[in-house]
Amino acid sequence: MFNGFRGILYRELNVFRKRAKKQILASSLSPLLFLIAFGWGFGDRVAVNGLPYITFLIPGLITMSSLNQSYGIAQELNITRFYFHVFDEYLIAPISHVEIVLGEAAYGMFKGLLSTVLIFVYSVIFSVKLIVGPMFFIAILTHTFLFTTLGITIAMLVKDHGDQATVNTFVITPMIFLSGTFFPVDKLPAVFKWLVYALPLTYSTKVIRATLTGGDVNMSYFLLMLGFAAAFFVTALRAVGRVEG
Amino acid sequence: MAVAEQVKNVLEARGLVKKFGKKTALAGIALNIREGDFTGLLGPNGAGKTTTIKMLTGLIKPTAGEIYYYGRDFFTHPRDAKRCIGVVPQQSNVDRDLTAYENLYLHSILYGIPKKQRRGKIEEALEFAGLREYGHRQVKTFSGGMKRRLVLVRALLHGPKILFLDEPTVGLDPQIRKNIWDLILKINQRKGMAILLTTHYIEEAEKLCRSTYIIDKGRIIAEGSPDDLKKDMGRYVLELFLEDRIEEEFFSSKDDALTRLKECGHACKIRQVTLEDVFIKLTGKRINV
Repeated sequence: MFNGFRGILYRELNVFRKRAKKQILASSLSPLLFLIAFGWGFGDRVAVNGLPYITFLIPGLITMSSLNQSYGIAQELNITRFYFHVFDEYLIAPISHVEIVLGEAAYGMFKGLLSTVLIFVYSVIFSVKLIVGPMFFIAILTHTFLFTTLGITIAMLVKDHGDQATVNTFVITPMIFLSGTFFPVDKLPAVFKWLVYALPLTYSTKVIRATLTGGDVNMSYFLLMLGFAAAFFVTALRAVGRVEG
Repeated sequence: MAVAEQVKNVLEARGLVKKFGKKTALAGIALNIREGDFTGLLGPNGAGKTTTIKMLTGLIKPTAGEIYYYGRDFFTHPRDAKRCIGVVPQQSNVDRDLTAYENLYLHSILYGIPKKQRRGKIEEALEFAGLREYGHRQVKTFSGGMKRRLVLVRALLHGPKILFLDEPTVGLDPQIRKNIWDLILKINQRKGMAILLTTHYIEEAEKLCRSTYIIDKGRIIAEGSPDDLKKDMGRYVLELFLEDRIEEEFFSSKDDALTRLKECGHACKIRQVTLEDVFIKLTGKRINV
């Protein structure tokens, strides 16, 4: 049992191992730049929602960075699908689509969690105190699962590499900037609020920030995260089925 | 013959249709492959060969039709069927970032080969492919022929009953092509594995296959052993080199052809009939254009 799950994870982790240094370096740069620019730049002169800005920022960087990594497996899936056709090997094998999705999702979550650890290291360097409790773990697992299954869905639906880039430009990047990662969404004009509250990252960021900074976790936001996660799991499954057209 | 009756059907497909939007790629195809068969699917590019293979191996779903492996429905029992299928796709889809060994190891996990047997089987496969010394090199560094051999032994690793080869030698130089042919023949003869091979190379079909389906525009237009198909045409061709074209006349014996050769006043040549002649007669065009 779970041959598909184990096989895919074996493949992905072996490929990752060979590129680990490069990958970790690359994923560590952008959050560091944000920290230098906004963290040190604003310093503790600015307070947001009663928190020093850098304390407000770090949970946002965690959701952003882990989203980038978890969702980012879409790019890799694209290459295995369109250029090297390795993905066909999974479709031909006696394994189910559920195993394919869960195997890839586990890898995406692994990458997301790795980048989370990295930002915790930064938080120590920048001497920002964070509270890490069980609810944080549950939230970050849901968050990475949600965005990696979204990535799988998109990677299976797009027709080529160009489409993938278009989705990233028009959906992922705006979402990262608008969902309260860098500033509280409550300050946005009403029109934008509608948009912002349709985006799953808004809820992840609110929940994860609350767990890390000792705020109250809004349980309905967390349930919404679970809802998004379930929905994207289903779309990912269907999208894999569609590849077989 | 009692022996012949015992030969089981590995694969049976009926009425396979595939439409991509309005375009019909396959217009109803039936195939029958028995244990140990070596069958060719011969046709020009775009005839529907790859679509057929993809459908038979579960990469795409047919618009209509039935597929049975050992009499069991492929669509209701995909796992059982997939275990007895080995596939060598047109493109060598090995993982460039993994070593040859890792590529085979991944396959062994996906197909549920017990952990204790993996190492032995993989080493045997590498040996068979002539890649023993290259097992721990990244596939990135492999030549086209090496990748081809690796894909071939990967498809065999789980001991399938039928092997699908989609244009196995396309893009390879003549010497490597021969090398792959030898390997395929060895698989069919030594392991008694049924093989379905697609090709648009006449020579490949004639040299390897004991039975062929000739396919054009999504339909099977002829089937039988290469010899039988050719026999229907007459064994020998007399090519008459006229001023503006070459005319071909078919004869059942060399003597008849020679008699005609002597009496005709043109430059001409006698050669044996090939499957290409069969194809031209049926469709009015060449396979390789």
